[in-house]
Amino acid sequence: MEYVNPEGLRLDGRRPMEMRQLRAEIGVVSRADGSASFEMGNTKVIAAVYGPREVQNRSQQMNDQALVRCEYSMANFSTGDRRRKTKGDRRSTEISLVIRQTMEACILTHLMPRSQIDIYVQVLQADGGTRSACINAATLALADAGIPMRDLVTSCSAGYLNSTPLLDLNYLEDSAGGADVTVGILPKLDKVTLLQMDAKLPMDIFENVMQLAVEGCKAVESHIREILLENAQTLVIRQGYGS
Amino acid sequence: MEQRLGNTWRMTVNEKKFIESALESELRVDGRRPFDYRALTIKFGREDGSSEVQLGQTHIMSFVTSQLVQPYRDRPNEGTLSVFTEFSPMADPSFEAGRPSESAVELGRIIDRGLRESRAVDTESLCVVAGKWVWSIRIDLHILDNGGNLVDAANIAALAALLTFRRPECTLGGDDGQEVTLHPPEVREPLPLIVHHLPIAVTFAFIGDEHMVIDPTHHEEAVMGGRMSVTLNANGDVCAIQKAGGHGVMQSVVMQCLRIASVKAGDITSKIKTVVESYKTDRALRMVKRHAPINAVDVNESGGKAKQILEGQKLKSEECSVSQSDDMDVEQGRINKRTDKNRSFTGGPSSWDPYSEGVNTDELKATLASRGSVAVPMNLDNLGDTIRDETKSDEPLSDVNPVSSSTDSAGKEMATSKEKTLQDAVKPKNKRKKKKSSNTAAV
Amino acid sequence: MGSKPCFIDKLVVPGDVVLDLSSMTNQTIKLGGGLQQDHDAVTVVKAGILRFSKPSKYWIESSHKRYIPTVGDAVLGIVVDKRADSFYVDIKGPMMAFLPVLAFEGGNRRNIPKFEVGTLIYTRIVKANPGINPELSCMDASGKAAEFGPLKDGYMFESSTGLSRMLLSSPTCPVLEGLGKKLAFEIAVGLNGRVWVNAEHKSSIILAANAIMNSESLTPVQQKIMVERLLDRVN
Repeated sequence: MEYVNPEGLRLDGRRPMEMRQLRAEIGVVSRADGSASFEMGNTKVIAAVYGPREVQNRSQQMNDQALVRCEYSMANFSTGDRRRKTKGDRRSTEISLVIRQTMEACILTHLMPRSQIDIYVQVLQADGGTRSACINAATLALADAGIPMRDLVTSCSAGYLNSTPLLDLNYLEDSAGGADVTVGILPKLDKVTLLQMDAKLPMDIFENVMQLAVEGCKAVESHIREILLENAQTLVIRQGYGS
Repeated sequence: MEQRLGNTWRMTVNEKKFIESALESELRVDGRRPFDYRALTIKFGREDGSSEVQLGQTHIMSFVTSQLVQPYRDRPNEGTLSVFTEFSPMADPSFEAGRPSESAVELGRIIDRGLRESRAVDTESLCVVAGKWVWSIRIDLHILDNGGNLVDAANIAALAALLTFRRPECTLGGDDGQEVTLHPPEVREPLPLIVHHLPIAVTFAFIGDEHMVIDPTHHEEAVMGGRMSVTLNANGDVCAIQKAGGHGVMQSVVMQCLRIASVKAGDITSKIKTVVESYKTDRALRMVKRHAPINAVDVNESGGKAKQILEGQKLKSEECSVSQSDDMDVEQGRINKRTDKNRSFTGGPSSWDPYSEGVNTDELKATLASRGSVAVPMNLDNLGDTIRDETKSDEPLSDVNPVSSSTDSAGKEMATSKEKTLQDAVKPKNKRKKKKSSNTAAV
Repeated sequence: MGSKPCFIDKLVVPGDVVLDLSSMTNQTIKLGGGLQQDHDAVTVVKAGILRFSKPSKYWIESSHKRYIPTVGDAVLGIVVDKRADSFYVDIKGPMMAFLPVLAFEGGNRRNIPKFEVGTLIYTRIVKANPGINPELSCMDASGKAAEFGPLKDGYMFESSTGLSRMLLSSPTCPVLEGLGKKLAFEIAVGLNGRVWVNAEHKSSIILAANAIMNSESLTPVQQKIMVERLLDRVN
């Protein structure tokens, strides 16, 4: 199948190095301590953060740092064919673990010993790149909850199809069987914390694809930063009215 | 709560500090350098498709089994490959019985991704009837002892088991050509899987701010801030990477890891190949033993004579004998002699390379080995009337009658020639192979 | 009967009857770990070697990874948790051991030591009864610190109780003697199978630790050879 046409356009009309439209909103779940929704094209996820709060299972309490938990789930209606997924399937268990460890890398857990932070992410609409979107949403939600963080973790994926590196794969491109590289970075430190990749790729091409994904992460970061600043602005204004 | 405190294994501050500070002078607690692997031993079970891997103190067993199932709807002409992990509670105090833990799931997914997404195992050849029956290959990984770095050890165990696994041969029959007949291993030699390349997982642990080590022990895993498992093959193709969060590393470090890993992958690949090869010769040898008593020949005697015959043959069949490779593992020294002898049996026209992309060359050889084995005791019986008629022995073999070949030949073709049988057996087998493959294609 | 002499220094397994008390009514004997009296018969409950020391002590010597606390043993413990009146210390036994915060030389309410979780302590068992958490102390019988207390730096590894006894036996076992000739290092051996090693150079620590770990199943001669080889390789 042709994923990049001779004019250099992809199936959805994007250029190879073009990202889908990003949209984000903060504070979408009123009961949660922090929440955000994040859209990358047709992929839409929502994240809610509770904490820091008392550790529920006492035996997991840590004396020197906070316990971070994460639960990833996909809504039944999120994919094309509607199916009831068992909650603890292997894929979502793994993604939960990956998101948790990625967020742990940026949360300053040692500042909140003996407490627990819960991150719930749910995919409302899946069109490729769900784990990236979840990480981006979780970052926003954590920031909204006011949890101390080292940096804003952002994530983006890139792939390689028709011998062209492609940024931010959608579902069709993702399931084409080509390589799929998901990267999560700490942009200010310029360090890679999450890196997942599958399918076969020569090493030098991999380097290019990873570089592209990192650039994508940086673009996401500037967008997220804007959203957060905007949010902070409105908060300030609201405070101004209150006083 | 107190009991729970007692059940977890814990580390002292001293150990943590020491592991980190020793790395500053590039030293590791067990005396290795940062980029050294621990001792690796691979053993095989008596049955095809089982392996046991020991990497330092880490001990993993792997079993491969197959089953005919319906294919997935979106992939009607591909077999399936699945990986299951079991973290036995005996392996580590933190493993609990019951539902697989997060780390068990992650381990399974890493292995799975490395093997499946890179198409290491040819799944299309596992299709029997498109849309109806395909082979489902299941890899079970049992962690027996957790000494750290389960990923690499489990990956090696899975590969070793896959390389030695054989599925029963099946043919299509019936009116519509849709009926599947399974042939038990005694009747037809089971077929090995087609493995295109070996994706080797190499795990790095990031300790402290800038140290990294390869193949971490469980002490180092307790200290590390992040881990990255890189799966690549000997050609330097990256097949999978898993770095699930944790300490951030520079992009350049990632690339450095990849380069180191590709060297390590080469080492491990050759190690796996050597042991698998010796397993195969060993296996072929077992077939010799299995068949010997059928002919009720005095075992000792037959052994002795067989050797003589074989030696004679080795000389004569030089043109088809394989290069007596010198890369045999040292451990195999004990059976080296027998291996040699066996090789002269199996010497096929092609080189002894089970990894060549060609279809089933190793299967071909293994069957030859078994065939040869049948032939030897027979020769013993009829040592007197040697070269009776080669043509006769030749025909039934070259016939398109592979089903009963080995057993039949044991029964009927008692009177076969001495040296010729084996060589002759090689050629028709070869032809038959081609014929059969074209047959299946036609179906 | 004559069974008594033939079992001593021999390997025995659970269920073996090693002594018949009916034939030795005229003497008092002391039974140590791994032996149980059942009327007139003394049976073995732990596999190991039956040891006898004059005049009347019998016990089973064996090597374990876990440790059964015995009063008076010096052990290496890891601080697991701290409470108002005591530290919880892991000594590889069936239960957490308590180390009262006042059980230090000159300890009083005002100078309670601060140990973070994971601190390694060289300590002594003062109370050990089945069913009760054992109690530790960082003082010797006369109330002096006497080397007890937290161990800083160095490296701790776990082995077996048998190895610990071997390291503590006199004359000095060949490994330590061999290592001691060439290397300068500090060592603390707990009877619970934990060993702590410290030295100026990291490489010496690693060398000593590995030599000791490897020495468990070796004969004295083998130990000597192994140590010499290791030292040769380094120098």
